[in-house]
Amino acid sequence: MSLNITVNGTSRTVNAEPLTPLLHVLREELDVLSPKAGCQNGGCGTCTVLVDGEPRRSCLIPISAVEGAEIRTVEGLAPPGQLSTLQEAWIHHYAAQCGFCTSGFLMAATAYLENGGSDDHAEIATALGGHVCRCTGYVKILDAISAAARGDSFDLTTTAAGLRTTIKGVDQ
Amino acid sequence: MAMHRGRGIAAIEYPTGMNQNGDPSQAWIKLKMDGRVDVFAGTVDIGQGSKTVHSQIVADTLGVPMDWVTMDTSNTDSSAFCMGTFASRGTFIGGNAVRLAAEKVRSRILEIGGELLEIDPGDLEIIDGEVIAKGSPDKKIGVGDIAGAATFVKGELISGQGTALKDYATLDPETGAVTIPPHSAISYAACAVEVEVDEETGDVRVIKMSQVYDVGCAINPTMVEGQIEGGAMQGLGLGLLENCYPYYPSNDHRGGQFGSYLAPSMEDLPELECIILENPSADGPFGAKAIGEMANNAQPPAIASAIYDAVGVWVTELPITPEKVLRALEAKAAGIPESVTTGKVVRYDEALSITSHQSADAAVTFAV
Repeated sequence: MSLNITVNGTSRTVNAEPLTPLLHVLREELDVLSPKAGCQNGGCGTCTVLVDGEPRRSCLIPISAVEGAEIRTVEGLAPPGQLSTLQEAWIHHYAAQCGFCTSGFLMAATAYLENGGSDDHAEIATALGGHVCRCTGYVKILDAISAAARGDSFDLTTTAAGLRTTIKGVDQ
Repeated sequence: MAMHRGRGIAAIEYPTGMNQNGDPSQAWIKLKMDGRVDVFAGTVDIGQGSKTVHSQIVADTLGVPMDWVTMDTSNTDSSAFCMGTFASRGTFIGGNAVRLAAEKVRSRILEIGGELLEIDPGDLEIIDGEVIAKGSPDKKIGVGDIAGAATFVKGELISGQGTALKDYATLDPETGAVTIPPHSAISYAACAVEVEVDEETGDVRVIKMSQVYDVGCAINPTMVEGQIEGGAMQGLGLGLLENCYPYYPSNDHRGGQFGSYLAPSMEDLPELECIILENPSADGPFGAKAIGEMANNAQPPAIASAIYDAVGVWVTELPITPEKVLRALEAKAAGIPESVTTGKVVRYDEALSITSHQSADAAVTFAV
């Protein structure tokens, strides 16, 4: 059946069976690859997209349930070549290691911030407690979301300079 | 409802890479004609940061800016060989391979630079992409100019290869003394936790976790911190939550879905403190040792001992679920002696060990 959805501001028509998960339509029909297929039964959060501004697990949503809806993914967080404040915070605070959970975290955190979420770690943890990350231990993810909530600004050219680039200082 | 607090501590030592022999990593570096550096290595970055760390090692060894270095790990078939990303060997073994390759490139840069400047290579150093005469900084030539001269004048590709491979462990046949030790570098760590145990439900919350890791040299401290923090939460999960077979060897209640395997979430995150110590190893690049796999080992025993401190029962099977805590509390209340403090017996049979061809018939049994 033919359906119409809006993805990151662009109207798209897709031909899909009505119960096809939104995740599969995005990834396989529309080549929108930021939502990741993780557990595919709602347990991990990495497929999270915004449906009319609300974070939803795209693996559990049949495409027919979102006809006419506005879908946002990581591709739509900022104009091409640019990053949102949250994405900059993610880089600055090294909030990604393998990166597989990152898309879902970014979308859920974007909704949290757009709904006026604070930089309080406990509040953030309540909002994003359903997202699993196995690499970072969540510490740097919390740091990044807090920084974005505070409206910190980031100069990413100095992020690398913050590393210990001279490593000869250790006495052997 | 009575909540009890307790504290526990555990320590770990961890050998870097596979011990003995047979665990090589190789790297090959070529200098482009403008001085930029291409590194071909097989160590795959799965998010732990080996690409960044190896770039830092190459940049510092050569004396060029880090953004001149491109790590190409895209094709493990055509790139130099690496045993793989495991055993916490990426920085130590893979890093040594790129360091050794970079040292060869550095020597060749200095030799050609010496010819062009008419100065002995031993009197030259490379700083920030320029070959400079020691003590006479106005006599200098860019690494890019040297690479260009090699390409267009000398007809040479400046390149270098490096292989990190540990020699086979051996004993002196006369004295029995170790001549080449079996281990590479040992990292050390300790983890102290504070838990809160609910006597009524058996629920355990980790309130605070403090950890100290000796990694030799934190080549990239932020990424070391990331490894420690990530390992801490994995260790918390192993200690309290994660189980594929809750009633092993029975597969009852195994759960067939992702959501039934409980991984810690952000809401389980305790107050986390990470301290990095740098006690350099003799063999690692810039003294570095392992961090990767050791990072989730010390938390489960520390949590177990904190639970003992809180409510006086030892639970020796992981994960320490509320059910296990309640069963242990019940057994204690009923006066059933704990079955858990006997430890296990380890039998060391030297005839089966690697040194058997050198010393014949010793067999030792000791109880832990």
